[in-house]
Amino acid sequence: MFCATRTPLRGPHCVMDMGIGLWCLQSTATNPRSFEQAYQELVEDARLAENNGIHSLWLSEHHAYYDGYCPALLPAASAALAATEHLEVGTGVLLLPLHEPNRVANAVNLLDAQSQGRFHLGVGMGYRPIEFTMKDELISNRLQLMNSGLDALQTTVSAPTWVGVSSEKAARRAGRRGLGLFISGAFSRDVVNGLIAAHRTEWETSGSPGGTPPPIGLLRNLWIVDTETERRKALEWVRSSYLVYAGLGWGADKTGVDFVSQIEASMDEVERSAKVGSAEEIAEDLDGYDVDLVVCRVGYDQPPRTALVEVIERIGQELLPLVQELGVQR
Amino acid sequence: MRLVLDLRKVSSHSERRRLASEADQHGIWGTVVTGPPGAECVEAAAIAAVTSNLSIIVDVDGDAAHPTTLAEEVAVLDQISRRRAALIFRGQTTTKLSVVALLSGLSSNGVILSPPPAQTSVPVFAPEDMPEVDLEGDLQNSAAIIDQYRDANTPFLIVSWDRPIKELARHLVGRAASPDFPQMVADLADEIDPIE
Repeated sequence: MFCATRTPLRGPHCVMDMGIGLWCLQSTATNPRSFEQAYQELVEDARLAENNGIHSLWLSEHHAYYDGYCPALLPAASAALAATEHLEVGTGVLLLPLHEPNRVANAVNLLDAQSQGRFHLGVGMGYRPIEFTMKDELISNRLQLMNSGLDALQTTVSAPTWVGVSSEKAARRAGRRGLGLFISGAFSRDVVNGLIAAHRTEWETSGSPGGTPPPIGLLRNLWIVDTETERRKALEWVRSSYLVYAGLGWGADKTGVDFVSQIEASMDEVERSAKVGSAEEIAEDLDGYDVDLVVCRVGYDQPPRTALVEVIERIGQELLPLVQELGVQR
Repeated sequence: MRLVLDLRKVSSHSERRRLASEADQHGIWGTVVTGPPGAECVEAAAIAAVTSNLSIIVDVDGDAAHPTTLAEEVAVLDQISRRRAALIFRGQTTTKLSVVALLSGLSSNGVILSPPPAQTSVPVFAPEDMPEVDLEGDLQNSAAIIDQYRDANTPFLIVSWDRPIKELARHLVGRAASPDFPQMVADLADEIDPIE
């Protein structure tokens, strides 16, 4: 039976958890590096996150893209989990229609057992035609493959399961199954709230499967800075990171974000939804979202390593206590 | 001849990790791991994370996966393990040829792996390429078995071993590598530094 979460993340006296993402293990044209280095840094970053009290680290998947975007998240998650003791690791998201569901279930159950329940399975549909072609599938069948995959996992997987969505229709499908929601970082507050409302309403009208409201995870583009110069630089990192999505051909439906046909306008939209500022400013902004987990999207390809390490430390040491304090007050 | 410690029949994950760490520490060349279909590289990646030198051979059911998916998992494992991955492939020849091509950085059916493996080419073995022996008898008997396979020019030997890993390393790794192995040195080492 699916469980959206092992224990309710949010209750009357609970506060928002803070994760980091998305680790894609790329070597991009903007910042080329060795893949071995990228995978070593994944393990180092997992340990760093754990040592700074961060709840979770999230990985992301694509296939056959020039930059080596990670195509096999479960072995990568296994390495991060084996290198840590408390950190939770999730897929944000694994493209379920491109995998054999029974193989995914076997791998997830091993991860769940090996890590004493620290693994989260986030799944999505995928949108790149080439990825379906290389797996001998038709992209036109992706919804059918997604649904049959979720049906298969429903009886075989015990790890918390989330669905990445970019439309209210998809949010409703996740709510109907009682699955957690994993919301993209590029969306405006209005779009985010619309997705959350659609998910919750559908869950309630479907008889509240699982009994506990499924958790909501929100990816947010953010960076902690002290000066205007740093702020401008961080915003450029956020903007340029979406060049990857433009290259991948992502155009989300009805969300105001279409990196295929309106790259500049879309990056402006991303910049507006990003929160770059002091830890206090970011905490106040995040407090306005009714979510259980915020995944701070800091895994951009451009920032130097020292800047990434510093922001992970600051998320754990500065932002996390503020967010939890605001949650308790609320 | 290189020895490969068989962890496929060890049921406890923590025990597999402990044994792999000891094998890594004591200079065993490699280990072979597996799991239910789809979980093989998950198991191997967990072993890779706690070792530095050990070659990690993954025993996979090649017919349970799309060849590209399988090759992607092994390529990622090769990156995680820093060039220590190898494969025992069980399945159809056509699938194996595709996996071998992909894990050599070549195109197969129009697909090229990204990322590619870290190694020039990930070794892909058939099960018959790696004979297996159970070394659960006394040391003298185990030594005779090792001599036999080494003298038959066997490149790799998978061994099941239920005694201290250091004993395997001290008495049999050097013997597997050389017909001139000085057994008296290993015996003397046992007196100087007894293995618990």
